[in-house]
This record gives sequence, C-alpha cells and structure tokens, in this order.
Amino acid sequence: MRQDRRQRFDALFQAYGPDIVAYCGWRAGSPSDAQDAAADVFLTAWRRLDEVPEGDAGRIWLYATARRVIANQRRSRRRREALHERLALEEASRPREHEASDPQEALVHEALRRLGPADREVLLLAEWEGLTPSQIAAVVGCGRVAARGRLHRARRRFRAAYEELLERPERPTTIQLAHRRIHEHA
Amino acid sequence: MSTPDTFDALRSANPRLRPGFASSVEAVAARIVTAEVAPAAAVRRRRPRFVRLAAVAAVVGVAAGVAALTVGPRGGTPGVEDATAAVRKAATATAAAADRSGTAVVRISHDGELWAGSTIRWNGDDISVRNDSPDRAGKVGGLTLVVGGTLYARDPRTGEWLDQGSPANIDPDSGTTPTETLAAVREDVGGVTLSRLARGVTGFSTSRVGGSTVYRGNVAAGLVARETGFKDGQELRVFPFGYVAHDEAADPAALLDAALTVGADGVVRQIALSWGTWTYTVTYSGLGTTPALVAPRNARSLLKERLRAVSGG
Repeated sequence: MRQDRRQRFDALFQAYGPDIVAYCGWRAGSPSDAQDAAADVFLTAWRRLDEVPEGDAGRIWLYATARRVIANQRRSRRRREALHERLALEEASRPREHEASDPQEALVHEALRRLGPADREVLLLAEWEGLTPSQIAAVVGCGRVAARGRLHRARRRFRAAYEELLERPERPTTIQLAHRRIHEHA
Repeated sequence: MSTPDTFDALRSANPRLRPGFASSVEAVAARIVTAEVAPAAAVRRRRPRFVRLAAVAAVVGVAAGVAALTVGPRGGTPGVEDATAAVRKAATATAAAADRSGTAVVRISHDGELWAGSTIRWNGDDISVRNDSPDRAGKVGGLTLVVGGTLYARDPRTGEWLDQGSPANIDPDSGTTPTETLAAVREDVGGVTLSRLARGVTGFSTSRVGGSTVYRGNVAAGLVARETGFKDGQELRVFPFGYVAHDEAADPAALLDAALTVGADGVVRQIALSWGTWTYTVTYSGLGTTPALVAPRNARSLLKERLRAVSGG
C-alpha cells in the first residue's frame, strides 16, 4: 500500500514537477520562496494523495494548490517584513539567471510589469503553462466564461503594452528593467 | 509588429527555456527527497501550535522516478566502494563550488512539522542568517546580516535596521553567532562533514532521482553531531549550524538514516539525516553564484546613539 502511494507520488512529480517549479518560479516573490513553495505543494500532494485526481486533472490540482501556497507565503511575508527589508534582501538574493539579458525578453518583462496581477496571471497560465481557459478557471477559481474573458483582455493589454514599448524611441536598459523587477510578479 | 510575433516573444521568455531550469527542478526534487519519516498520525505531536513552513524537511518519500542503480550490502563490495568514492568526489566538488558564495537552508522537523530552521546566505565573509523557526506567536523571519564586517539586525520594536558594529561583540561561543555560522558553513560545505559521512556510512545504496543521485545508508550520530558541552548533567550534542541533536541523535553510537543527494553536476544538493520522527536537512543552492549581500540603507548606528547618550548630546 505504502509502495503504491510512493509510486504514484513519484509518477506525479515526474510528470508535473517541472510545471510546478516553473509556475512557482514566476509567481513566488523570490527564487528561494519558489523552491519552498514547490516543495510545499508536493508535501501537500503526498499527504493528500488520495484527493489528487488522476490524469491531467491532477496537474490542475497541483497548480491550484501552488496558487494557495504562494498566497499564504505572501500573507506571511507581508506580516513579517516591511517593504524596505524586502528590497534590501531580494536585491541581494535574486539570482542573476533571472535577469533578462536578451533585449526582447527584457521588453516582454517590462510589458508584463505593466499588466495588473490578475491579467498577468491568466496570460502566463495560458502562454507559459499551456492551460486552456477551462483549466485556468479551475486554477484561479472562477467560471469558464469569466476566464475566457479575462484571458482575452489580458492578451489585448499585453499586446498593446509590448507594441508601445517596441515603438518607443528610447527603450529601458536591461539594468533599469532588472531593478524594476524587484516589484515584478509580486 | 504582428500579433503572432508579440506572443512568440512572450512564449520565448518562458522560464522553462532558461539554461538553469533543469537544475531548479533538481533542487526541488532534492528538497523533497529526505529520509523516511514515520506517518504523522502514528506519533505524538509535541508542538501542534507551530505553523508548518516550507516542506523541505518534512516530506516523506521520494520524487521523480526512482530507479535503483546499485544496492551495496554491508561490507566492501564494489558498489559500496563506488558510492564512497563518489561521495568523496562530490564533497571535493562542493567545497570548490561553495568557496566563494552559496545558500544553505537548514531544517529540523519533528513529526512532519518544522521544529527549527534557518536560511543562510554567504558571499565571501558576508553572511545573512534568517531564522525560519516560528516563535510562540507563530512569527518567523528574524534576520541577522553581516556585510563588510558590520553586523545589522532589526530593532524588534520599530522594525528599523540597526548597525550593531562588529559581530565579534555578540554572544561568543554560543555556536550561533554569524562568525560561527560562517565557520559551520565552511566546515559543512568544505567537505569535512561530508568526508566524515563518506567514511562512516554503512549499507550504502544508490538511486537516481531525476538527474540527481541519492546515496543512502546509516551513520553514527557522533560523526555528525559533535559534543559541545553539558546541560542538566547530560552531554549536549549539536548538528552543524548549532542545532541540538534530540533523542537518539544525542547518543553518539546511535545509527541515523543518512541520504546525500548529488546533482548532475557532481555537487551535493542536500544532506538529510533522520531518526525516529526527526529529520535534519541541509539543502544547498547557488554555490558560487549567490550574489553579493548588500548592507541595508539608513541603518541606525547603535554605537553612535550610545555615545550620544553617554555624552549627554
């Protein structure tokens, strides 16, 4: 019985571990928070393995769990840290690999920064995580029609922001963008 | 610019496509892989008020398609020799990678719940130590920072940063000062602890977890938890980073379950020990790549304030 549980858990991590690590990577406040969150999601999955649906629904269950874990992390962080502490520490701890050196990628991040958090979330769930509107609805806890509408608006706003940045004569430098990303995705 | 190009640009910024992504997944797998912990329901909960934090130290089981490679019986079989040699090699590689900088997350969990923990970042002689253990009110996050030979800490009343001068002034010989923590970091990732483990582990088995290799076996507690003194008439032993070895781990002859996770790059990702319902883990990341620590801006100088108070200014 225990062996069956372990096999199922192993299969779950193998199938969806990278998805949850990637999701936590762009949703959490820092790389270390992201790793904590991803590990916490799978701890929850282990403890509640009987509740994790089979197949692709299991993936959505993990995304929804990750979303709640990160929300809890943020609440906890807000309670314990003032903003200036966050700035000091995150600037120190953010790995360089997260800084976009490619100008196109820097523009993408700047355009994403200009979106509201809700727009950014549904857009990236669709474009980076490959979720359908129905699956997004299940993750964020809204109706399918609402998710479709939010995604449509988010795409439109992202396109507008990105194209405006492209047409701007002086684009922000990578360093400026890296500094701004302290607030990004928060 | 047409719409497809816009969204192609967005998709190509997907973090999965970054070079370090696979190692991020490995790092999470390493944090999930710990020695087995007894089912929570079967044991008494001593500190139920504690909020469980990161899963790091508490997870039962293994992740990512475990495939046994070799299982070395006790004694000098080639499998055991290979594992011992591989762990020694990993210790050397880890020491080299961690020489300049790194991040270590230390957790002790009991009965599946976080008991104590800290996150340590170092870069050269600078270090930050965040206390991840919840206090009685469930709050976490106390932070000590040493940058450029100056100790900074938070004023518990106002939350402001305080410049506390030299770290040498505080609580020496407690095993938990920033200097001592940095020394423990050097010892642990410098290979001393790993070398002791490599020499002392018996019954090595090896398995693959994602791109990492996990070496498991048993090790005498005394090889890892060193004696530091006496308390209440009993010998006190502590693990690296100053955490007290409880229950069986306080007995130097007791055998603890050990698991060393080595990443695909040959560097140790995690040391995990477990006994009874306890688990102790040290998880490494950013070895050689952890950025420089920065001193907090506008820190209040405690020394200047005291001098002003003394001089009546």
